[in-house]
Amino acid sequence: MTEAGPAVDIRGLSKSYRIGHLRGQRRQALRDLSLQVPRGVVFGCLGPNGSGKSTTLKLLLGLLFPDSGSATILGQPIGARAVRQSLGYLPENPYFYDYLTPNEYLDYAGRLFGLPPGARKDRARELLDLVGLAEAAEVHMRRFSKGMLQRLGLAQALVNRPELVFLDEPMSGLDPLGRRSVREIILRLKEEGSTVFFSTHILSDAETLCDEVAVLRGGSVVAKGRLDQILSLDVTHMEVLVSGLGPQEVSGLPAGVEIFRTMGERLVLHVPETQLGRLVVAVEQRGGRVLSVQPVRQSLEDYFFAEIGHPAKGEAWTAGA
Amino acid sequence: MRRVAAVARNTFRESVRERVLYNLLFFAVIMTLSGLLLGELSIRQDAKIIKDLGLAAIDLFGTLIALFVGVGLVSKEIERRSLHPLLAKPLSRDEFLLGKFAGLGFTLLVNVGLMTGGLYATLLALRRGADPALLKAVFAIYLALLVTVALTLLLSILTSAAVASVSTLCLVIAGRYSDVILNLGDVVPGMPAWALRAVMILIPNFRNFDLKDRVVYGDPVSFGDLGWITAYAVAYTGTVITLAVIALRRRELT
Repeated sequence: MTEAGPAVDIRGLSKSYRIGHLRGQRRQALRDLSLQVPRGVVFGCLGPNGSGKSTTLKLLLGLLFPDSGSATILGQPIGARAVRQSLGYLPENPYFYDYLTPNEYLDYAGRLFGLPPGARKDRARELLDLVGLAEAAEVHMRRFSKGMLQRLGLAQALVNRPELVFLDEPMSGLDPLGRRSVREIILRLKEEGSTVFFSTHILSDAETLCDEVAVLRGGSVVAKGRLDQILSLDVTHMEVLVSGLGPQEVSGLPAGVEIFRTMGERLVLHVPETQLGRLVVAVEQRGGRVLSVQPVRQSLEDYFFAEIGHPAKGEAWTAGA
Repeated sequence: MRRVAAVARNTFRESVRERVLYNLLFFAVIMTLSGLLLGELSIRQDAKIIKDLGLAAIDLFGTLIALFVGVGLVSKEIERRSLHPLLAKPLSRDEFLLGKFAGLGFTLLVNVGLMTGGLYATLLALRRGADPALLKAVFAIYLALLVTVALTLLLSILTSAAVASVSTLCLVIAGRYSDVILNLGDVVPGMPAWALRAVMILIPNFRNFDLKDRVVYGDPVSFGDLGWITAYAVAYTGTVITLAVIALRRRELT
């Protein structure tokens, strides 16, 4: 495996699908996509549903064939067996075999990587512990919930201790605990030196995890780079949580203060940073209390809606779940 | 080879846990045992009837297992995308397909073995003797089942599960009545001879594998005969599997 160069290097990939009853029409899924993913980073491929994220992953894994363009993974062309020895892949909404148990499936995956029997057994136990499925190790997968299948999907993607892991919507179907656990696993993979390439339409996940992102829309990259390059990290305003103010007291607050949300007798106020001091004094003078003050920066969600606009027809964003 | 064996092992493990397999085996046992009842009704013919029904059960239910388990296993892998994470591992499409074929072939071998064991047990229980010639017919049935499995694999890759099931069934029926195709020239006078020959070559001639009557009624089946049908099965299956490999290499997995 070539050590130098990016983990993923995509040059001008285009892909269209035949659609319609007689498959006479074509829908362009990717248009001249070029991307480089450095080694050792968590890279987020973001975009609404239908923007080309999964198509990109499938092209990189050799499941689909490009109309034009090329790509290398870990310095090798797409599909090379030597590369696949170092890859992990979690498909979107994974499905496995109804009548196999997680232990049997991970053993199967280990056999495909040529792991010896003892190593397969140890690795299966380790991975099932990691994803929280140790107690279901001998349960047939037809009894699994979507979240459990997702966890097992992640486990099988890590059987070979991959250098590069492709995760297609890894948080899909998970409860909050499961999502946190997956986030921790992704960060741990990065600490261990792996490159993680994941696709998501959940912006908060990308914000929490990614060193770099590419934003796809309609099969093209509309923005790419480090998050601090894409987002403005300056504080845009302050978010202030106050209590003890009635409607009369609120009306007398300084100019520029905006009531963002009411939560029972508490109010969330948005105020420009320069007006914060005056707001705090005004709240106290009116018998209220300032409970918290938080600086607010531009989020990915703000960025998308400000820079890219609302989703195109057939596309859907999720800010968080 | 190690990876082909891993896929074959997994295919066998999954297929023996399929409920449809046990339903079919249950009916195969019922059909074999029904020979006992019919044998009672036919004076001195009971052994022949038991053999006849037993071999027919192995043939019929083996074919149904090859069709339904075979189509289900491969189509499900493609349609439910369980194939995707496998192909992201160091497993080629060719190895996957050969592993599926080997796994299904082994599943059928075990099933045919069990049904044959049941037939011999029935004959021995009635003290009608364990005629070793039956194994020749069983061997021919097994070869036919391998041809059927190869066809199910090819058609599962080219079409959906439902279409693959129906089209394989049509090919199996057409292949069993291939003599009708030979006589098509009489029914459709203008049909050129080469077209008939082409159809005969394309459709698997399952009549070649039908040794049931010859074995049951004591007609000799030489090893030369067995060698010829084995060669035919190897050639036909090899061709179909090669086409399936090409089809899977070209298939986009969306």
